[in-house]
Parts: sequence; C-alpha cells; structure tokens
Amino acid sequence: MADAAFTAEFAQAQRVEARRYALGRLGVYAFLGFFAILYLLPLLVVVANSFREMPEITQNGLIAFPRSFSFKAWPNAWAHYCVQGTCEGVHRNFYNSLIMTVPATLVSTMLGAINGYVLSKWRFRGSEALFVCMTLGVFMPGQVALMPWAFILGRLHLSNSVYGLMFVHCVQGLSFTTLFCRNYYLSIPDDLIKAARIDGAGFWRIFFKIVLPLSPPILIVTVIWQFTGIWNEYLFGVVFTGGTQQPITASLVSLATTVMNARAYDVTAAAVLIGALPPLLIYLFGGKYFVRGLTQGAIK
Amino acid sequence: MSAIADPSSAPPARPSWRARLGAWTPFLVLAPSLAASFVYVFVFTFWTLYISLSNSTLLPSYGFVGLKPYFDLWSNQRWRIAYGNLFFFSGFYVVLSLLIGLALAIAIDQRVKGEAIWRTIFLYPLAVSFIVTGAVWRWLYSPDAGIEFFVRSLGWSDFTFRLTSDRDLAIYTIIATGVWQSSGFAMALFLAGLRSVDPDIVKAAQIDGASRLRIYAKVILPAIAPIFVAVTVVLLQFAIKTFDLVVALTNSGPGIATTFPANYVYELMFQRGQISIGAAASIMMLAALSVVIGPYALWVTWRRKREASALG
Amino acid sequence: MSTRTATLAGLVSLALVSAASAEPKTNILHQWSEGSDAAAIAKLGEMFTAAGGKWEQTSIAGHTANTLAKLRADVVAGSAPPAVQLKGPEIAEWNATGQTANMNDLAAKEGWDKVVAPALLPVMKPTGDWVAAPMNIHRINWLWASTAAMAKVGIKEMPKTWAEYNADCDKAVAAGLICEAHFSADWTDSTVFEVVVYGQNIDLFKKAFVEGDTAAMRSPEMVKAFEQFRLMTTKYMDPGIAGRDYDTATAMIAKGKAVFMIMGDWQIGIFGANKMTSPADFACAQAPTDWGKPGFILNSDSVVFFKQTDPDYVEGQKLLAHLILSPAFQTVFNQTKGSIPARLDVDISSGFSPCQQTSQKDLQAAIGAGTLVRSFAHNMTILQKYRGAAMDIITTYVNNPKMSAKDGANAMADAVDAQK
Repeated sequence: MADAAFTAEFAQAQRVEARRYALGRLGVYAFLGFFAILYLLPLLVVVANSFREMPEITQNGLIAFPRSFSFKAWPNAWAHYCVQGTCEGVHRNFYNSLIMTVPATLVSTMLGAINGYVLSKWRFRGSEALFVCMTLGVFMPGQVALMPWAFILGRLHLSNSVYGLMFVHCVQGLSFTTLFCRNYYLSIPDDLIKAARIDGAGFWRIFFKIVLPLSPPILIVTVIWQFTGIWNEYLFGVVFTGGTQQPITASLVSLATTVMNARAYDVTAAAVLIGALPPLLIYLFGGKYFVRGLTQGAIK
Repeated sequence: MSAIADPSSAPPARPSWRARLGAWTPFLVLAPSLAASFVYVFVFTFWTLYISLSNSTLLPSYGFVGLKPYFDLWSNQRWRIAYGNLFFFSGFYVVLSLLIGLALAIAIDQRVKGEAIWRTIFLYPLAVSFIVTGAVWRWLYSPDAGIEFFVRSLGWSDFTFRLTSDRDLAIYTIIATGVWQSSGFAMALFLAGLRSVDPDIVKAAQIDGASRLRIYAKVILPAIAPIFVAVTVVLLQFAIKTFDLVVALTNSGPGIATTFPANYVYELMFQRGQISIGAAASIMMLAALSVVIGPYALWVTWRRKREASALG
Repeated sequence: MSTRTATLAGLVSLALVSAASAEPKTNILHQWSEGSDAAAIAKLGEMFTAAGGKWEQTSIAGHTANTLAKLRADVVAGSAPPAVQLKGPEIAEWNATGQTANMNDLAAKEGWDKVVAPALLPVMKPTGDWVAAPMNIHRINWLWASTAAMAKVGIKEMPKTWAEYNADCDKAVAAGLICEAHFSADWTDSTVFEVVVYGQNIDLFKKAFVEGDTAAMRSPEMVKAFEQFRLMTTKYMDPGIAGRDYDTATAMIAKGKAVFMIMGDWQIGIFGANKMTSPADFACAQAPTDWGKPGFILNSDSVVFFKQTDPDYVEGQKLLAHLILSPAFQTVFNQTKGSIPARLDVDISSGFSPCQQTSQKDLQAAIGAGTLVRSFAHNMTILQKYRGAAMDIITTYVNNPKMSAKDGANAMADAVDAQK
C-alpha cells in the first residue's frame, strides 16, 4: 500500500517537474521567438518591399501587409535602374565590390595567420609590446585616417585605384586578423612546435605542416569578419576609387538618400538585398564555424 | 612526438649564414606588417595630433598654433553635446548589448532546436551594412510611414511612436538600433564561452544540488568573465566609431540633439574647412578611448603576472 | 640647316603636333548621383562626347561632405580632379590655395563677362580670374501653394506680406489644415529663416547673412525675425517636422494636406516628378516681403577647375567650360531642374514653366531695384565655418520650442563669434 502511495506521489512530483520543464522550454522559445521577430523586422520589410509594386507601396505605405507581388524590381535593380550616372543598375558596382573585397580578405587573413603564428610561437624580446601596438589599430576611426591615407596612396601612385583601396583595407585589417589568430594559436601546445623543431623543421615547414592544418576555425572567423567589414564599408570605398570603380555601398547610399525625385522603393529594396546577399550568405553558411572558431580560443 | 631525436637522423651541420637567416625569419616575416601597422597607428595618430595644434583650415597646413584649436572646439555647444552623447550612448549601448547578448546566448545554450537558424537571425544585423538597415529603421521610426502609421492604420488612432522627432528621446532610438545591431555579436562570443566551460565543474555543482540559476550565477558566469571584457572592448570600439547610425536614423537631429563626435569631426574636416579643430576633436575621441583601454591593458598585464606567479 | 636647328625645329613641330592632338578628356566630381540631377549631368556628358571628348564622371551620393572629402583626398594625394562641383565662398577658399586653373582666355574669347549675371561674377572670379563656370541660377525665396488646399481654406491669392501670410495661415489652421509643409533639417530650417529675415528687412539680411556681422545678428530686428519664425514653427507647421523626409513634405502639398511651402525653385522639378503642374496643382509666388518690391535670393551651382599637368585634361577643361556656358547646355540643364540659366541672354520663353519665366523676370527686376542678394542657407555668402555654426543654432531653435527669440538671436551670434 505504501508502495502505491509512494509511486503516486512520485508520479505527481514527476508531472510537476515535467510541467515546469515544459514551461521552462516554452519560456525559452517564447523569449527567443520574441527577439527573433524584433531582429527580423527590418529584413522582412525590405524583402516584402522588393516584391511589391511601386503604386501599391505608395498607396499602402512602406510598412504594410503586401497586397501586390512582382519580380520586376530585381532585374531592374541589377541591370537597368539609373543610378550613379549610368542606367545599368548596380551590377557593375557589385562586381567592383567583389574584386576589391575577396583579395583584400584573403591577403589580410593570410598575413594575420602568419603574424599570429610569429607572435605566439616565435616570441622574441619585445614581441608582446609589438603585438599590443599592432592591435591598437582597431580603434582608429576612419575619418581620422582619411587624409593621411590619401597622402600615402598619392606617394605610392595608387590613388583612385582599386589596388590602393585593397592596400588600405589590408593594413587596417591586419590589426583584427593578427589579434584573432594570435590568440587562437596560443592554444596550440608549444610542445608540438618544439618537437617539430627538434626534428629539424624550420619556420615555414612548421607553419604549413602543423599550424595551418589546425587553423580552419580561426581562418573562417577572420574571413567572415574581414569580408563583412570590407564589403560594407562606404567612406574609403567612395573616396579612394573613382568613376566606374565604385563599390556597391556607393550605389546603395545613392538610392537610399534620393531626395530630389520620387523614390523607387521597390528597386531600392531589391538593390539593398543584392548588396546584402554576399555577407548574409557567408554568415548563413559560415556562422557555425564562426562560433566554433571563437569557442576554440579566439577570445582570450 | 619524439622527445629524444634519433642520432642517425640528425640533420648535418648547416652553414652558419643559413642558421642565422633562419633565426631572423620570424622577425623578417613580421617586419612588413609591423612597419605598416606602426605607420598606420602611430604616424597617423601623431600626424593628427600635430594637425590639432596647427593652423589648418581648408587643407592640412603645418603652422604651429598651440592649443587654440582645442579651446575653439570646446567653445562649440555642438561639440559639448556630441561628447556628452558619446558617453551616454556608450554606457547604455555596451551594458544593454552585454545583457541581451548574454540572455540570448544562455537561451540558445539550453539545447534548443534549430540553433543555426536562431544564431543566424541574431547575427545577421552585423553582416548587413547599416546603410541598408539604417534606412529601414528610419522608415520604421518615422511617424508618417512607420510603426506609428501602421498601428494607427490598424485602428488605434491615438497611438504615437515618434521617438526620432523628440529632442530628448531621439538618442534612445540610436541606442536601441545600435544594440540591435551588435548584440548578436555579443551573443556569439558568449555562446562560444558558455560552450568552453569545463563540463566537470558544472556537473560537480549539479551533484551538489545547486539550482540552475545558482549554477549560472556562481559557476558559469564567473568562468567566462574574460569574455565579458573581450566583448566590452569590441563594443567600445564600435561605440567610439558611431557614425553611420546617426546619419541613417536622425542625421544629428532633431536640431543637433543627437550629434556624435565622429559626425562632427567629419563635418568640421570636410564640410566646414576647419581641419585643425576636427583633428582636435579626433584626439579627444581617442582620449575618451584611452580612458577605458588604459585600465583594461593594465588589468590584462596584472592578470598575466598573477597567472605567471601562480604557476611559478 | 645645322643638326641643332633641325633638331630644334623637329622638337618644336612635335610639340605643336602633340598640343594640337591633345584629346580632351575630363573626370567631373559631383554629388548629383541619381534621378533628374544625374540625367542633367548625363546630358553634359553627351555633349562632351559629341564634341570629341572622353567623358568620365565620379558621382558621390549623400551629404556634400562626402564629395568634399574625396576632393580633399585627391588634392592631398597630388591628383586634384580636373573639374569639381563647388560653389559660393568655397570657390574663393580653394582659389586661395593656388590650385585652381585659370579660364581667362576662354572667358575673354566667349565674352562671359558680358552675359553671365553680374551677381555671379564676384563668386566665379574671386580674385579677378575666371576659375569656375556657373551652371544655373536658383531662386530661394519662392512660396509654393497647393491649389486644392487654398481653395478649401478660401485663400484667393498668394500672400504678399508677412502679415497677409500670417492671416492666411490662421485661416488654414482654423480650417484644420497644416499651413506650412516643412521637414526639419539644418538646410531647410535655414532656408525658411533666411526667407523670413530677407522678407522683413533686406538691410538686416545683408549685414547679418552676407557680411556676417554678429552685432546685426543680435539686433532687435533679428529678434523680431526669430519671433515670426517661432510663430511659424509652433502654430503653422505641424509637430512631425523632425524625422520627416523630403518626399513626405512634398506629398503634403500634393495631397492638399498643407497649404504653403517655402522652398527653392528645384521644387518645380520635384513637383514635375510627382506629375504636378502649375497653376492646376500648385501655385508659385515670391515669398512674402514687407517692402513691396521684386526680390531675389540667389543660389548657383558651378564647376571649378583645378590645375592639371596632363594636356588632355587641360583641353578637356576648356571644352567642358565652353559647353557649360553654352546656351544649348544652359537651356537643357535648367529645363527639368526648375532653375534658370546663368546666362542672361538665353531665351526661356519655350520649354520652361511659367514659374521659371517669372523667376527670370524677377531676377532682372531685382537687379534693377538693388534687392538681389545671394543665399546664406545655400552657401553663397559667408564662409562654411560661420554658416555651419549659425545653422546649428537655427535648427536647434526650430526643434526647441522653449528657446526664446532673444536667446536664439544671441546664441546664433555667439556661435558665429566662437569661430572667429
């Protein structure tokens, strides 16, 4: 008899516990869901507007349940809309951004990895101080650096060229990439390196055979960070290029700040999404590695 | 991993110049980046410092005038408002981003399903340029076409939501949107930190009968204390550079209520031809930073020394 | 012929040949990056290409400061652009750096001194040499009105004095409409304010906003202007002016929700893009003045030329200047923008709206009556550092109803003094 009472009581406690657990789970999902909607709101508005027809937007407002559907804003934004002095849409600026961002990302990532390797595994007197010096660069505001960079690029005969802009982004990116990589490499056991040196491996062989194969998580973190930062940058992209070389951020600002004419909200929305697509995709597919790379010690 | 090398496979004696070159390789490899960073950080900063003490107007010029640009700078009400806004904004922005980022990370850490989707949803604001999202937020905040208009069209004709039109409240839109943009990043770092906590400590606490809340408060959060610092540092450098947020949301308005230092520097240097005053403002921005970075650097050094002495 | 003479002759003829075969090219830096502005620049490009030149342009969107940032970067880097969109006192400032190119020969050949509006000459020739080519003349002191709203309120004709304006506005407010459509930004607030000051007292405008005299900025007359301005911002404008954008303000006129709008003549182009015409949808009149004569506040866009070493760019500058001041371009450029040509001898009787034709007549009348002034709000008079400081105060005044007129006047004077 006592057995049955105990079982009943235990079952009751279990039910209470299960309900509390379920409520807890519900709470977590509700919390996440609420914030997710808040976060997604701007994106939803833009996506919706890129598929609505302009007269309907004018009539019902920018933030409204869509009552029309059309694909035509997209090809318009890509190839036909008049922006930045030509009527070719934003596709050329898109390619300009790619040409500028991909090499700069890869170079600054590679350099960051090598520098991080040096500063963590081949320490010499003063290397800590040098490391701090290099990372101070992350705090430099862009407006401050503009005229000095202009002067330097002028001396190097790289002003008004994509190569000049890539150089600027590489140097500025070095601070972050070195910081990330060096902190990550600290977690590679020193004994591994020592053993390799005893076996006769030199500087480069250790890098390519031991360190680099262990690097994918942090390299992805760096690539994601750099790509996003360089792709989305406006001021330097506009000042250090000219004419038809301007990046996509230039045409986005142009579309977003239209004052003197009726704004084509649908085309603007589509163009904005075209411009946001590469970083978004990278975060979508690389996000998992982003967190994993940070987990494995990028932050110390 | 061989601690004892096989003598028969020992490398032959090398010429000394190659060995010496080998010893120099790390430094040589680092040198170009070092030189570039040195120039970028120090030369640029010293150039700005010199210009802030010069008579530059339309273009940089090098006549020394002492501290006059600083006095001129502080006599402008707009600068005083901007500097004050910077501190006000940074405080709320950093604290809120930390709290919300932490909350989201803890929530996701509860082994929720579809983690990849949640994570992407909260991270995407950082991925997308603010030129893009700023325009949308501006629409959302605008009384004529945004949330107020939408809610009114649903029937609540008295609903008001016009923060960007209010001198005292507009800065909160900048704070809120800034937090929206970077709390995902804080979440990612906190998530990484939570994942790297030693599970044994957590199990030990669970066995001791501590409630979930206690475990978090007493065990897990202290274990990820360094992450708080790292996130704060990154958030602070975002805060100092606040420029696009202001341009997109309020354009320093209403009036000049939400003007920020980076915007005023830009205005002084490029619109108003007052480069020396703009440089002085930049130095003041960097000074504000060093107030925070200085203690952090000292703390890091102190912690390293403490770890070293604990091991030694 | 000795070898030396032959070589010399050869070199000279080579130089002549290369000078003659310099192919004009240009790269114009400007901020008109989209819409009808960009279309107007594109027309210039077409004319340039048709004349045998190689056309390139760099258009920078957003705030003017972006274009000026690029200009500075290029100048600091040692490669100043051949042509830049600059205006007002900035032309003098850049001229003072010694980097501007001199177009006197072309000017003399084409007789610019005789045909360009006299008020523009000191701006384009700050030290007596032609360094800039004006593209248009904008009129700032226009009062626009929604015909539908006027009919609804019962306003029969456009107000001529500020007293009439206030009376009309009282009627509009009583009828439940917004009287003045406005969106608050530093330049729009200053536009309305300078129109108020000008309309009340031309001498005050000249002393305070053209000469930059801060004593005039503190004067009781200025306080009176601030008082009229306060009446407008609290009673005749609606509370949503901060955070509103340009389109929405135009829509208020288009939909008849507001009666009046004080804005420059580019509003014609914007109304046109919204498919509105005058007098059916909107009316135009000189903004109210208390001194009963035709008046004109002038603004002008212009292109400044910087010294170049490449002879192709030098040729390109001459071609560009020639085209900008050609009657053909002056006509085509200004038709859709709403402004009038910078050359006074261009016939605008066809292809231009009635408001634009009125503008030119008023320009001539204002020149004759001595009431023509250049715009302070649109960067044609005092240096940017004074103008910027004053505009900060004006826009603060608009958004802070507790600021009294006296405080506003003193704050504006103090802000300008602080820059000296």
